Amino acid sequence: MLLVWSQIWLITKREITANARNFKILVALMAMTLLSLLSARAMTVDYENRLSNWRVNQDRQRDPAVGGDISYNLADGSFVHGEVFGHTPPIQSPRPFSALIKGMSGEMDRAVNVGQQIVFWARQDEPATSAIFNIPDTSFVIKLLVSLFALMFSFDTVTQEKESGTLRAMMSQPVSRSLVIISKSLGASVSLLAPFTASYFMEIIYLHLAHGLPTGREDLIRALLIFGMASLYGIVFTQIGIFISTITRQTKIAVTTALLTWATIVLILPNAAVLIAKLLTPAPSYNHLNASLYEERKRFLQDEAEADRAARQSTGRIGDQMNLLRLFEIQRQATDDYLTIKKDQNRLARLFAALSPAGALTFGACDLAGTGVDAYNSYLDSFRSDRDVMLDALRRRLDFPGPEADRLLQKAHETTAGSRQRAPSLGASAFSFVISITSLVAWGVFFVFAACWGFRRYDVR
Amino acid sequence: MFQTILHREIQETSASPILLFTLVALTILVPLSACIQARYYKFVAEDYNLRQSVHQAENSSQSIVLIRPLPPLAPFFNGVYDSLPDEFRLPIDSATTNTPSGDLIPLDWLFPKIDLSFIIGVLMTLLTILLAHDTIARDRDQGALKLVLASPVRRRLVLAAKLTGVILPVTVVLIYVVSLYTSVVIFFSRGTVALSIANFKALTIFTMVALTVLIASCAIGVAISAAVRQSSVSLFVCASIWIVINLIWPPFGPYVAAIFKTVPTPEAARREIAFKEKDLIRKELAEHRKTANDLEAQQVGVKFAWQRYLELRRKWMERRNKAIGRLVEERKKQISDQQVFARRISLFSPYAAFREVLGNLCGTGLESYDEFLTAAERYKQQEFIPKGFDQLSQQKPWVKGAELEDKLQLPHLQTPAPDLFGRLSAAAWPLSILIAEMIISVALGILIFERSDVR
Repeated sequence: MLLVWSQIWLITKREITANARNFKILVALMAMTLLSLLSARAMTVDYENRLSNWRVNQDRQRDPAVGGDISYNLADGSFVHGEVFGHTPPIQSPRPFSALIKGMSGEMDRAVNVGQQIVFWARQDEPATSAIFNIPDTSFVIKLLVSLFALMFSFDTVTQEKESGTLRAMMSQPVSRSLVIISKSLGASVSLLAPFTASYFMEIIYLHLAHGLPTGREDLIRALLIFGMASLYGIVFTQIGIFISTITRQTKIAVTTALLTWATIVLILPNAAVLIAKLLTPAPSYNHLNASLYEERKRFLQDEAEADRAARQSTGRIGDQMNLLRLFEIQRQATDDYLTIKKDQNRLARLFAALSPAGALTFGACDLAGTGVDAYNSYLDSFRSDRDVMLDALRRRLDFPGPEADRLLQKAHETTAGSRQRAPSLGASAFSFVISITSLVAWGVFFVFAACWGFRRYDVR
Repeated sequence: MFQTILHREIQETSASPILLFTLVALTILVPLSACIQARYYKFVAEDYNLRQSVHQAENSSQSIVLIRPLPPLAPFFNGVYDSLPDEFRLPIDSATTNTPSGDLIPLDWLFPKIDLSFIIGVLMTLLTILLAHDTIARDRDQGALKLVLASPVRRRLVLAAKLTGVILPVTVVLIYVVSLYTSVVIFFSRGTVALSIANFKALTIFTMVALTVLIASCAIGVAISAAVRQSSVSLFVCASIWIVINLIWPPFGPYVAAIFKTVPTPEAARREIAFKEKDLIRKELAEHRKTANDLEAQQVGVKFAWQRYLELRRKWMERRNKAIGRLVEERKKQISDQQVFARRISLFSPYAAFREVLGNLCGTGLESYDEFLTAAERYKQQEFIPKGFDQLSQQKPWVKGAELEDKLQLPHLQTPAPDLFGRLSAAAWPLSILIAEMIISVALGILIFERSDVR
């Protein structure tokens, strides 16, 4: 047993030393640190802008609305001129962790008006030039660089030894092939994780010292869990690189295969998974929903006008409150259906994307940061419950009009305006975390076995 | 000699396992992506038609809703079309348009859609750079370069043959990819995307611009291949450059621009505009109050009062438009400055320049969005306000139920549809940068190869 451990240690040490001597570790450290810090700077500026925007929005909530009705009362008739000018409805405060992983935060920055309907305003990011490329946050840097450097440390572990002739010498020793592969993957993993750990924590320290982020113990745990997931992601790609090395005969072919595999796994699979999820759960556009709500409202007004005309001709009855409640109910149902489809689409996309390591990392990290699918879905749910509170108050006012009902409605307004949707707790993100970790572990284990299998059949001559 | 080297290069490239592997991958990915894009576009087109019919009935003398038209080539390059609002409610009184939300698209923030521009700009440039990285380094490794240059042949000719030897097979793959993508889009979009002459011409230009990007990538690969001694080093450098210029620099560009060129936050800008608008509303209400009292005292008829009221309203509308319009324009300029800066930074990457050109060509870029906003403003001034006030003057709001009859029939908004030359002129800046990048890459390749030591 001791001999096995010493063999593993020897091969692992040799791998790490080789990676340090040919400056691969240094290059990885420099590239990852540079990009992590650049990303941290860019995303904190973005976060601070969003925070300042939110503060102004909060101030504006206290701005009085201006307006009023002026009646033109003439002898033979009258008409009214009305004006009202308020302010943007409240927006949600940006999550401090979005400076590290922005995720879906851009969508959650919308101003949303909650009354008997939920009205989403346009997104806050007016410049929109970034809309056609990925967001360069930490999860993006990890997704690209950690996987790339993992492959760089591993794609030639076998082929290079074969080309230099040392593989024959090594295999002439009484050492099992699986042990060699496991030692080599350990060496490659350590070579990757050392610079990654340094760059990741340098970024966290920079964020803390320069911007006071992340804050609190829970945020620190989130940051550590993201680090753990990213490390696992790196190890998966190390195994993929070693597998590629065991199925190719030349380093040149190994590196091109590694690059093409990387492009497929990182750039294509998660995007394709999200597109397929969208096709399987087709959702109408938000403006489509609004158009259908408008049609319902129009139908209601026409019915009311006809009822009013008939009532004036016969009994003098005006309008029917039941119709208004029915309209509210129809609108509520249509909005809920739309939001449910959106939420299902998000969940399905996360499930499909988790089948690839890059998708599992992105969704898992976003959920841990409180900017992912769970946070977005609970963001939608919070508006639904606020809207239900408002509808309930409106219903009561229609049933029992009077000052008490008005007071209840005012209270509902205050309750919903004051409700702040918080980031889901760490426990709530556990499901997503488990999905992502399971996927990453499955990929890792599969490629460990595949690499052992490939190396057993490898011709070392 | 040129032909011999070219022939050998084409043979080497065509037999390369990289090319075969990529061809298989593209044959799977291209129809999948095209099919998804076509079905999505068909869905968006149906959604657009439904909304159009609803909003036509919704238009009144108080406000109208305008919808941004669907760009015909959106399935080929999505651009910023989905990311920007596509409906605008124009109130007759206010200079600020009430922008309803665009669609809720949280997933697009994490994974932008794969379209033809991605397939060419990312995957095919990777293929090209992988094919080009060892054209010279390989010959040097094998010692064949010495033999070639020992014969009376100019180095530029050798380089031209090597470049052409990679570009020709890549061009064939490009034509295959564009044809396959186009066929699948046309088939699955069920008539929403038609291969009209205009679209065909635009796609031809699309292919030529794509070829420019691929030539630039190829020239970078060949230049590095000439500069380094070993094939593996060449591959490492080529892959690093490809990652930086295609995957890292373009996403960072806008965020770096936001650091150096700041603009007030949206809410701060809205507060400033609201402050001004509220002041004007107060004054307007005061004047209405005074006028209402005067008219009541003069005991005029309601019809006369209504006309007097409309005159007053129009006067205040013009005043508000003028005062608020200035602030809105200032805000637009600030955003536009930041956008221009961000885009100029991004243009260092041929991939970003390629997408800029495609935005103009396919009508899914920021220019098309700005053109729509300008057309909408013109439509408001020339069609909506005059006809809206005409209709208002004929209304009788003192009669109960009259508001239900307030339906405004307006001609369709004519959005500018520039011809191909116009679209290319709009893309002159990124296109010239792209061509310059291609020329610089080729010149760099020549320079390095002329000076390189063949031993």
